[in-house]
Amino acid sequence: MQSQAASVSDYDYSNFFYHASDDPFAILEPFNEWLRNALPHGYYLFSQAMSTPPQGEIRLTEGLRGRQLRLVNLSSYNYLGLSVRPEVIAAAKEALDAYGLGAAGSPILSGMMDVHVQLEEDLARFKKKEAAMVFPTGYSTNVGLIAGLMRPGDWVIADQSAHASIVDGAILSKASVRFFRHNNPADLERKLKQATGKKLVAIEGVYSMDGDVCPLPELVAVAKKYGARVMLDEAHSTFVYGPTGRGVAELYGLENDVDIHVGTFSKSLGGQGGYVAGSRNLYNYLKGFARSRVFSCALSPVVAAGVRKSLEIAQREPELRDALWANVRHIRSRLEEEGVDVGDSTSQIVPIMVRNDRRVFEICHKLLGAGVYLQPVIYPAVAKHRSRFRVSISAGHTREQLDEGAAILIRVLREERILV
Amino acid sequence: MTTSNPSEFVQYRFRDAIGGFFEFPTENARALLPTDLQPIEPHHGSSVLSVMAFDFHDSPVGEYGELILSILVAPRVDTGHSWPRSAFWPFRLGTTTPESREHAIERWHLPHYMKDISIAWDRGDGHVTINATDRGEPIVDMTITEHEWSKVEHPYQAFMYDDEGAYTSTIVMAGQFSENEEERGGIVIHSQAMTDLLANWEVDVTPFRELWMRDGMQTFHPLRQLAAFAPR
Repeated sequence: MQSQAASVSDYDYSNFFYHASDDPFAILEPFNEWLRNALPHGYYLFSQAMSTPPQGEIRLTEGLRGRQLRLVNLSSYNYLGLSVRPEVIAAAKEALDAYGLGAAGSPILSGMMDVHVQLEEDLARFKKKEAAMVFPTGYSTNVGLIAGLMRPGDWVIADQSAHASIVDGAILSKASVRFFRHNNPADLERKLKQATGKKLVAIEGVYSMDGDVCPLPELVAVAKKYGARVMLDEAHSTFVYGPTGRGVAELYGLENDVDIHVGTFSKSLGGQGGYVAGSRNLYNYLKGFARSRVFSCALSPVVAAGVRKSLEIAQREPELRDALWANVRHIRSRLEEEGVDVGDSTSQIVPIMVRNDRRVFEICHKLLGAGVYLQPVIYPAVAKHRSRFRVSISAGHTREQLDEGAAILIRVLREERILV
Repeated sequence: MTTSNPSEFVQYRFRDAIGGFFEFPTENARALLPTDLQPIEPHHGSSVLSVMAFDFHDSPVGEYGELILSILVAPRVDTGHSWPRSAFWPFRLGTTTPESREHAIERWHLPHYMKDISIAWDRGDGHVTINATDRGEPIVDMTITEHEWSKVEHPYQAFMYDDEGAYTSTIVMAGQFSENEEERGGIVIHSQAMTDLLANWEVDVTPFRELWMRDGMQTFHPLRQLAAFAPR
């Protein structure tokens, strides 16, 4: 029997972190050699180009052979379907006529337009906070906020499953960084006990890869006990949770106990960008110190206008949330009836645990051929042994799309013996 | 003296080699690692403790057993060499014979627990358990479970340093191989002199990856000297 040398699937990005030589370009050749071989084994599944909006059904150019595919889309964040609402598109078109394409400047210099100011005022009113600051992306929001506020010698204590933007912001701040076990208040307390001086606890309302909700009352109580400030990123929970859609903090009645509220425009609002909501003093400070905003071009006025309209619709039409949750209940019941392992998710994000990178790629490839668009989620997006698919449900999905997607998914999982 | 020509490849044949990967806080890893080595983090803030045990039956120093505690680190890819599947920084080894210990220290610059240990192997149905002890005092108990078997030849990389310098070696592991991430194995790390560095680490008791190789051969490639690591 022939021995098997290590195959492309034995490697991932972590294997190509360092090269032995002193030339920073020396790693490029071995990495690309691996990537060329890895692409047909599943890495082609990343960054495939869609030619339609991110709706329940999409057309996509398959990355392996360039085939044009019609697929049920279970991958997009468009939770309320607002990216394609005619009023949103009309508002963006009007802004295009009024302002042109881009802001052509940093918000602190020449890039601030009245549409940005109006969006910030709308957000502050919606969040019931003194002020809200708009950032050009969700990533830059957390990076700018944390690195703008925390200093060497301070402590950032984040959930182990926190988004990369929280991690990178904490690292950039040069504060001491510690991670507590996911959604574990007792471990947060252990970490806080070790910290002295200024402390920031960074958590999320709904975790993007697990779809589970944070135990906010317990986490806030622990943070307060140790004098730590709390920032809550509600990227995936705004307009999903809470009586008026203000997120997990509203759900638990803790909006005034959370010191800093963070959100994005790219999920429920179907646009792009992010925001920090809190006190006017915080706004004024970050205006000077959130370098990811100070040194970035302001959000396009076209997007800002579209997001304003999305925000108005999301508040005006709570039935969109009802439709989202009805769809969530529908597909979850289909998956749970069949015994699909969805981890600890209770939200519109439903992970399907496979726990093996190679298998995730194989199944994803098969799903693509069968008519479902699901992205493999592997390291470093999740822990190495926690690879999965992530189903994202939208109010824009029709029941037919959900049923078709679930039927294909269950059939493939059964064929691949993930379901027995 | 067991040291042979340093430019030679050295082979060690074994009945069983098992390994478990356990998460533990990165702050513990960084406190121990030279600054030049970067721990692999499967989770933010979590690094990987590798615990391996070997049952060698044929080697330059005869038959012996070995227990290795390592931290998984980012490998160094080198043009013209095979890519390491994983890289290790072994920080404490124990062997069952003085000859094997002297050989590993002299030849491979590996940091050792300086007493003979005993390793009992319990090969069960679909699993193997080792109990490592020092004159009856427990060190580590570890169970690894099996999955599908295939014949493989995998390159790994190890980093070592001592008073004489910093080194790396490619280590090729060949044999019948089983690997799984089913989280069925387990470990108990006892408070003992060989494990003193782990005293305050919060090591997961379940391995997220379990490796098992049977009837295999471990081949050490010649050491390559590196610019000295900067210790913590």
